[in-house]
Amino acid sequence: MGKVIVITSGKGGVGKTTTTANIGIGLSRLGKKVIVIDTDLGLRNLDVVMGLENRIVYNLVDVIEGSCRLKQALIKDKRFPELYLLPSAQTKDKTSVSPEQMKKLIEDLKNEFDYILLDCPAGIEQGFQNAIAGADRSIIVTTPEVSAIRDADRIIGLLEAKGIKQNSLLINRLRVDMVRRGDMMSVEDVTEILAIDLLGVIPDDEKVVIATNQGEPVVGEDSPSGQAYDKVCRRLLGEEIPITDFSHAEGLLTRFSNLFRKN
Amino acid sequence: MSVPSVFVAKERLKNLLNADRMQCTPDACERLSSDLYHTVSKYMEIKPENFNIQITRTDIHIKYTGENH
Repeated sequence: MGKVIVITSGKGGVGKTTTTANIGIGLSRLGKKVIVIDTDLGLRNLDVVMGLENRIVYNLVDVIEGSCRLKQALIKDKRFPELYLLPSAQTKDKTSVSPEQMKKLIEDLKNEFDYILLDCPAGIEQGFQNAIAGADRSIIVTTPEVSAIRDADRIIGLLEAKGIKQNSLLINRLRVDMVRRGDMMSVEDVTEILAIDLLGVIPDDEKVVIATNQGEPVVGEDSPSGQAYDKVCRRLLGEEIPITDFSHAEGLLTRFSNLFRKN
Repeated sequence: MSVPSVFVAKERLKNLLNADRMQCTPDACERLSSDLYHTVSKYMEIKPENFNIQITRTDIHIKYTGENH
């Protein structure tokens, strides 16, 4: 039976779609059969982040309305072993799908795939309700900002109320230099306030912007974000990998000054 | 030197979350704490400095410490 994970955040622009793409690709590279579903009706983005925008024929709403068969709407990402995308509709609105319909679709997919990842829209309205309807667990993406963390807290409350108990946190765009000078909340600050399980920390990395420009993933690449996403995927598969302590990651300069201090 | 902005962020966030979790304003949170203190103090000898209220997503924890003589 496939595992169903919703990637959500409450606030927009914190990196849900990038995270969905990179975790999907990462799990596929680790040998899992994965489908990523864009549930943001009217604002289709996951296909663009993955560089698959030119291959869309049918979408999620077509499948739900029965205008096509499920298999026809799935786009296979040929760059990776077993990765499929079910794109969202760009012209429909969020009321074209109901939570019950989403649940049924996911039940059908569970037999086919090891992992079903749902990219949730921002907000807590029907799009959110649709996205979480069939989920077993969630990944809550936040950045170390007051507004994003506040929304994450709301989302955790709503997920718990819906009976989704396994919720874990992904802190995105952490800037070590700013944490060190006391101008950004640290990983400890955020986890202490939200009090949920921490799945991973993605450092702020311009490689993400570059990769997104090109419609390519960062996961597994030799960059801080690429390595961090790879670790997130391995943790999802049950490997025990400690969270990289970025607050102690030293620059060359501090390493030198420490050297002098010791002598 | 000014206070690092992270302290301001954490303080604001804590107040916001308390208010969100109880769905009321920070001022109302303050009054709830005060009412709880007065209610508890009818039955137990407590001091404000030993009385602490923490509100999480699902629980309200009332903590008191120390013996009073």
